[in-house]
Amino acid sequence: MINSIIRFGLIFILLILIQVLLLNNIQFSGYVNPYVYIMFILLLPIEIPSWLLLLLSFVTGLIIDFFTGSTGMHTSATVLAGFVRPYVLRIVSPKDGYESGSDPSMMIYGFRWFFFYALLMVLVHHTTLFYIEVFRFADFFRTMLRVLLSTMFSMTFILLIEFYRRGK
Amino acid sequence: MRNLLNFLVRYNNLIIFLFLEGIAFYLISTRNNYHNSRIVNSVRSITRGVEEKINNTKSYLSLHEINERLAAENVALKNNISKLVRKESSLFFSADDSTHRQQYLHTSAEVIENSINRQRNFFTINKGESQGIKVDMAVISANSVAGVIVGCSKDYSVAMSLLNPDFKLSARIKSNGYFGSLSWDGRDYRYAILSEIPQHVLVNVGDTIETTGYSAIFPEGVIVGTVSDYEKFGGDFYKISVLLMADFKKIHFVDVIGNMKKTEQLELEKLFK
Repeated sequence: MINSIIRFGLIFILLILIQVLLLNNIQFSGYVNPYVYIMFILLLPIEIPSWLLLLLSFVTGLIIDFFTGSTGMHTSATVLAGFVRPYVLRIVSPKDGYESGSDPSMMIYGFRWFFFYALLMVLVHHTTLFYIEVFRFADFFRTMLRVLLSTMFSMTFILLIEFYRRGK
Repeated sequence: MRNLLNFLVRYNNLIIFLFLEGIAFYLISTRNNYHNSRIVNSVRSITRGVEEKINNTKSYLSLHEINERLAAENVALKNNISKLVRKESSLFFSADDSTHRQQYLHTSAEVIENSINRQRNFFTINKGESQGIKVDMAVISANSVAGVIVGCSKDYSVAMSLLNPDFKLSARIKSNGYFGSLSWDGRDYRYAILSEIPQHVLVNVGDTIETTGYSAIFPEGVIVGTVSDYEKFGGDFYKISVLLMADFKKIHFVDVIGNMKKTEQLELEKLFK
């Protein structure tokens, strides 16, 4: 228990540092903003109680909001991602179900499974985030393009990190 | 009562979810607009220390480029001085009155936090109230419009970037003097839209767009950019796409300009409104 708190604490700090120190400072063409901090929500244990998942999502979003100076945007997108995670897990569930007490990682459930799981979660998060940021439907398709491009980049980073974790 | 308890137990996740989303949307609704920058300011004060460290590293990496730009700016300023010296020598003015001609005060500052990829962009500069910065002062970067100060703390100020749809600038076409309203449409960080120019006006691609000085924030004649494209919009007006001269992606040193006669102008104008 204590062990996993420390482990997830470290993952949390590391992901936020990557996001704030590195990715928030990469200003691509104005269309692409990768957000990898969502990976923290992805990696939490499968059997985590829902209320804790929601609370952790809230705190993660709030911290990112502090650092980007955007009030509430990241919070609402991350809380939604935390809310839909159990449903996403049910959708992508492998044939023989989940092992009890396991983490949703590439190491245990394979690349294909992790890819679809991460993709669904990142899409939910990015779609909410970008549409809330624009706050109008006038530029619907342009915003969708931003969502898709950013999803691609976030997925690249998330898969890289996950491969690194598996390699260890 | 039991039903209610059952209901709460059954939907407790949904309730927590809605509660947290409620907080998030409340935060969004107090979004940082022009008049409500206090929240941005107080929130930023927490993260500013980190931001300044990041910026220090970044500025070290781009020292070479910055030096070159400063040198170029120095040359331009020296040229201006030599012009002014000649002009001044032919004028009389009393020796103890140092401000009788001066309307604008300049001070330089460094951008320590900046963004271009949001819908409402702000940047933070490393000077604040104790250096004389006040709300509503103009910020220019290499002689072109960059933003306007919306909030100050003791040593820092937050400026609303031109890349913010809430920022409306009064601008005109330099060649013929017709003025309109310029603002960013949230798309490309290199372009802004100049509207309210009537269709009988002759517009050419490449025309210079500059500020009018009507708002008492920006001095007259600060360059905004050049016309890159225009199309008819509605029955009467053009929608002109302006290529901005300030490169917001690498904005680093800025000048803050205070208008010393602003109160005078505004008070006079108030009488007729």
